[in-house]
Amino acid sequence: MPITTTRRRLLAGSAAALALPAFARAQSAVKPRLTAISQWSAGSDGAAITALGKKFEEKGGVWQHSPVPGFTTEMMNKLRAQIMAGDPPACSQLKGPEIAAWSKIAPTVDLDALVAAAGYEKVVAPDLAKLHKPAGKWIALPLQIYSTNMLFLSKRAMDKAKADKIPVTWADFNDLAEKMKSGGVAFPVANGGTRPDDGQKFEASLAGISPTAYRKAIMDLDKKALEGPEIKAAFAQVRKIADWMDPNVGAQHFSTNLKRFVEGEMGMMIMGGWAQGVLRNAGFKFEDFTIAPGPSDNGKPVFLLNADAFIFWQRKEADLQAGQTLMAQLVMDPAIQTMYSQITGSIPVRTDVDLSGEGWSAGQRLTAAALKDAIASNQAVLSVAHNMAQENGLTAALIDVITEFVKNKTIKPEQAAIRLAEAVESAR
Amino acid sequence: MTNAVVTNTGRPGPPEMVRRLPEVLAIWVPLLLSAAHLVSFSLWTIWVSFTPSTLIPVAGWVGLRNYTAVLASRNWQIAFDNLLLFGSAFVLLSLVTGLFLAILLDQRIRGENVLRSIFLYPLAVSFVVTGTVWSWLLNPGLGIEKLVHDLGWTSFKFDWLIDRDMAIWTIVVAAIWQSSGFAMALFLAGLRSVDSDLIKAAQIDGAGPVRMYRRVILPTLWPITVTVIVIQLQFAISTFDLVRALTNGGPGIATQLPALVVYDLMFQRNLLGRGAAAAVLMLLILLAVLLPYAAWRYLQRRRAAHA
Repeated sequence: MPITTTRRRLLAGSAAALALPAFARAQSAVKPRLTAISQWSAGSDGAAITALGKKFEEKGGVWQHSPVPGFTTEMMNKLRAQIMAGDPPACSQLKGPEIAAWSKIAPTVDLDALVAAAGYEKVVAPDLAKLHKPAGKWIALPLQIYSTNMLFLSKRAMDKAKADKIPVTWADFNDLAEKMKSGGVAFPVANGGTRPDDGQKFEASLAGISPTAYRKAIMDLDKKALEGPEIKAAFAQVRKIADWMDPNVGAQHFSTNLKRFVEGEMGMMIMGGWAQGVLRNAGFKFEDFTIAPGPSDNGKPVFLLNADAFIFWQRKEADLQAGQTLMAQLVMDPAIQTMYSQITGSIPVRTDVDLSGEGWSAGQRLTAAALKDAIASNQAVLSVAHNMAQENGLTAALIDVITEFVKNKTIKPEQAAIRLAEAVESAR
Repeated sequence: MTNAVVTNTGRPGPPEMVRRLPEVLAIWVPLLLSAAHLVSFSLWTIWVSFTPSTLIPVAGWVGLRNYTAVLASRNWQIAFDNLLLFGSAFVLLSLVTGLFLAILLDQRIRGENVLRSIFLYPLAVSFVVTGTVWSWLLNPGLGIEKLVHDLGWTSFKFDWLIDRDMAIWTIVVAAIWQSSGFAMALFLAGLRSVDSDLIKAAQIDGAGPVRMYRRVILPTLWPITVTVIVIQLQFAISTFDLVRALTNGGPGIATQLPALVVYDLMFQRNLLGRGAAAAVLMLLILLAVLLPYAAWRYLQRRRAAHA
């Protein structure tokens, strides 16, 4: 049946506004189609997005996902090329402040009506929501959340230290590390040597010492906060952590040392929640380790947010627009988020998903509870090590200072604090 | 000449231009295409380096701001110092190693072909592989240090990879392993092409092997030496994959090199303008090596023509 482009658009547009759940079936004239790019090609990430694609197809859609394996950078290069050629994907992976940056170079889709229809805004952490509506309108949707400052305790290392109390504050953490050291744990802190690894040590330290200082210094780049005493204290804590790490890891990935961690040669690991999935994939049992929220000096959990998201790029084709509507509805759907997080080991973005049921691990339940508490006490902040707090350029400038401090023990915490403030100044 | 013969038979062939068309096409079209690519992309990069481009190239003029920002950044300063150290150490050492291997192979030994292949083989390996393998070998907890410890010498220490002052030398070691075979092959060819009359004359004059190499053979090798130096230098300046796989610029940012900085600025920090400025700076460094070489070659040729 011949319909004009404008009518098609109108149809798609009004359908989007109404957010009909049965949209796909009602609009038999246009079969929803989605072109998407992401870096998720293998492992649990690949499995999760493939499962999402299956759901998309079940709803009558045509799923055209082109994964760009490798670093996020590779995916961004593809996205950049497609945008410059005037042919952006209907939807692509993108996260954090990059959503705001990239939305300036190509038109995005206004998702406000769909978000309102799904009641999504009420169930998303406020700081996180802000990132996905940079100019006041929703243009991207968060899909899953990780905390970057979970504390993993090796069961065998705890036995060696004759300790059973989970550390709550940094003082507890330091005590336990000393106990482990004297109990024969060679390296009380397990680690990798990559840039995000080093960044995580710092952000966990600062946010654990003072989430308020973290928010002001790292998220708002407040000059006074950047020169504040908390920054120096955080660097001092990072130095302690660095002294407990195995210096030999070089630039290795954290997962290289998981075996030594489980065997008790390394004691504690400050890592994102994804490490749980990695541990499980590597064949270790839940009894081998304990998970807790990262140290927090005021006793209430601090949650360093890392969230994957999809951004939606404007397309003229009616089938792609219908596909975007369907995709948005799926991403916000609690059942889909449950399915996705159960595959990847993350937690759902929606704070109203019940994790007590089958398929969730203790670690995931604990992470979700920590997020809820942290939001309630305004202690959910955005991770800088994983590009959530600042754009890539500024993040890299900050991590430069941190990673140099971790590897060069002659740098004093005071010097590092000055360098951090300078890095912000020159990167702006 | 053939065309003279053709004219003489009275059946003139196709005009000169048409007859030479295949060779003109075969040589000039690819040459012009690649030159156009090279020049146009270089010009484009130079243009971008003066614009405020971040995520994508945009028009605009910021003067030298990108350059001053790059030159003032710690990453670039470290990268530049490293390049000086790495470049000179690598070129010098690979030259010496290559020459030494070539002289040894030149002794008409048995199994020369096998040995030559073995020494040349690293060149066939991708730099990423070289970098990864050496990163394992040099890792104190996994590689050589651990091996020696396990053998019983527990005070042995070889931790360059994680020592930020020595880490740049691990790249030198890996790069030499990779490319001294290449220098060897060039030198060996040079050694083999030395005029045998010259050698015989020296033998008659009673020169021993050491004297022979020092006074007779090696002096004839210096054009090859210059070629090896230039090729290795341009490799050193553009080194990227080796460092990325071996140290990834670490520990910290201790082993940054210019190519890493360019990639980092362009694709990880999304600062296209600054990345382009760093790339242009790299081009200038390359020109500082290649222009004198070109001038030298030109003078050589002129002198040869005059002689």
